[in-house]
Amino acid sequence: MARLTLRNVKKRFKETEVLHGIDLEIRDREFVVFVGPSGCGKSTLLRLIAGLDPITEGSFHLNERMMNDVAPSKRGIAMVFQSYALYPHMDVYENMAFGVRLMGLPKEEIESRISEAARMLKMEELLKRKPRELSGGQRQRVAIGRALVRKPEVFLLDEPLSNLDAALRSEVRLEIAKLHREIGGTMIYVTHDQIEAMTLADKIVVMNNGRVEQVGSPRQLFEKPANSFVGTFIGSPKMTLVDVSRSGNRLGIADGGSVPLDELPDKTPHLKLGVRPDALTVKREAEDGFTASVVYTEYLGDDSYVYARLADGTLVAIRTHPNDIFEPDEAVRINLNGSPVHFFDAESGQRLEPSAVAAH
Amino acid sequence: MPRLRLTGRTLWITALIVPPLAVMATFVAYPIGSALAYAFYDWQGLQRGEFVGLQNFYNVLFTEPFASWTQRAFMHNIIVFFSLMVIQNGTGFILAYALWRELPGAAFHRVAVFLPVVLSTVIIGFLWKLFFHPIFGPVNQIFRGVGLDFLAQPWLGQSSTALGSLIFVNAWAWIGFPTLVFLAGMQRIPTELLDAARMETDSEWVLIKKIVWPLVAPSATVVFILLFIGSFNWFELPYIMVGLDGSPFGSTDVLGLYFYRTAFGNQSAGVQDFGNGSALAVLIFLFIAVVAAFWTVRLRKREIQL
Ligand SMILES: Nc1ncnc2c1ncn2[C@@H]1O[C@H](COP(=O)(O)OP(=O)(O)O)[C@@H](O)[C@H]1O
Ligand SMILES: [Mg+2]
Repeated sequence: MARLTLRNVKKRFKETEVLHGIDLEIRDREFVVFVGPSGCGKSTLLRLIAGLDPITEGSFHLNERMMNDVAPSKRGIAMVFQSYALYPHMDVYENMAFGVRLMGLPKEEIESRISEAARMLKMEELLKRKPRELSGGQRQRVAIGRALVRKPEVFLLDEPLSNLDAALRSEVRLEIAKLHREIGGTMIYVTHDQIEAMTLADKIVVMNNGRVEQVGSPRQLFEKPANSFVGTFIGSPKMTLVDVSRSGNRLGIADGGSVPLDELPDKTPHLKLGVRPDALTVKREAEDGFTASVVYTEYLGDDSYVYARLADGTLVAIRTHPNDIFEPDEAVRINLNGSPVHFFDAESGQRLEPSAVAAH
Repeated sequence: MPRLRLTGRTLWITALIVPPLAVMATFVAYPIGSALAYAFYDWQGLQRGEFVGLQNFYNVLFTEPFASWTQRAFMHNIIVFFSLMVIQNGTGFILAYALWRELPGAAFHRVAVFLPVVLSTVIIGFLWKLFFHPIFGPVNQIFRGVGLDFLAQPWLGQSSTALGSLIFVNAWAWIGFPTLVFLAGMQRIPTELLDAARMETDSEWVLIKKIVWPLVAPSATVVFILLFIGSFNWFELPYIMVGLDGSPFGSTDVLGLYFYRTAFGNQSAGVQDFGNGSALAVLIFLFIAVVAAFWTVRLRKREIQL
């Protein structure tokens, strides 16, 4: 059992506050991903959970137990570091044995745990090597193995794939997912890459500027982003935000055309319209829609993405059939294709729920 | 066979290499070579006598009273070396660790600890000789002031404490050097490595023993070797503080003082014995060179790549 509860957790380094009150509930066996742009405080939050840095304010409970003042080694939490942080003077076996020996486990138990971890991570033949004799991917395995042998209740992984090359990255990503299924502990995984987050997580915690923007499943975040930050952060290519004004059932840009909608938020003359590339159509000749001028077309085999500039200068991405090739500077019309779109408050960026517009 | 042509380039290189080589030969190689040669002759004062082979070496090692003087001085050097190893390097390591973990006042102490290192040994020697003065010296005055009268001893004046006092002064003066080297070694350890260890143990001692020390040990090589060389060449500090005879009663006599006395004489025994003196110098040199070289090679093997 490992349930983590963070209540109003704040962290200050000297005068600077980098976490501004985090509330978070993590269930047993959950695979949680903290995602957010660089510098938003993901590592800091992870280090607070690990106990490597003290919590300035607020509380962290593991199950029912208050953990704020418990030493890192006594928390039942293991961490895989971004740089792997293997002990350079110990071979792979010793790296893994170091912690479990200190836990006072009997020799046979230590040996069997290490050989099991080595088998799971396919590194039996590496046990006698020193870290400097290993490739990046192998070091990564050792770092995971070192966490594994301690049989912790909670695994923390800080950007574990960021030092691997692209090919290895997706491979190790799959292995981590498999590992989580096999060992079943609670995992907290930090990344700045939303694709990693979407593919791995049961639950994603989107962070920005030391705050949690939204917590939810990948599907929830994608389908109902709580604000414009989450909307643009999750999904690739990015959601475009267009500043629009409402007039009847239409949303328009000044001197840039307008589009009709069946559902709109109430009583807001100005708002942000959030559209993903596959919610839009682009046509050369059309009566209606936003006017735009093509910037370039990105051909990706299965699809193409057309990037066009709206009258107010916003760059918008539209997914099209790969045979639809538009030339730069072509004048086009952009329309909604009926797929879901998102509405955000013009000032706060908070999500606005639409309701059916009364027929005129 | 390629002919060596005196092009501009070779001339230039020759011009750059010859002067330093000449200086080294005149002022380093020649004196060492001649000291080596002197050791094989009989000497009457500054007058060179006959070639006597290994007689001088035999004298200082096996003939009384020289043999027991040599032994006593050598023993003192060994004591100095091991004591400094513990006091100077050991405390240096602890200080470095405290500075590294940013204990309060680290910025000030980083400078304070290193300050005496830049003072000249002559000044330090005189300073502490005054400090240790049995009646007026601040050391004893402080002890008496705080009621520890039994510690108000003639520190430099009695056989039981003289060598210890010298060792203390040396450690005081030089502690900054090992501290700085160890600190530099510690600062090379990546933060995440230490964090990884902290995830596995909350014992500071385990951390030091199993992680910090093994990673810092390579930088200790130079500290150990230099301390070894310094301990067996020890001269200035005892010379200034206790004089050429290693007073009282030779209780602070070390090889450096003993060599100097033998080769150049002193007030009490006005004789100069260049032969025995040179033999001693050669023995000291060989001992230091061989041990230091051997040890360097051994310790280098332990170096760890971070
Ligand atoms: N030890 C520290 N002292 C001062 N500021 C820090 C420290 N560690 C992190 N920060 C600051 O906290 C913010 C969040 O950092 P971090 O948690 O590493 O971000 P992330 O992991 O999301 O990229 C950054 O602005 C960083 O500069
Ligand atoms: Mg980080």
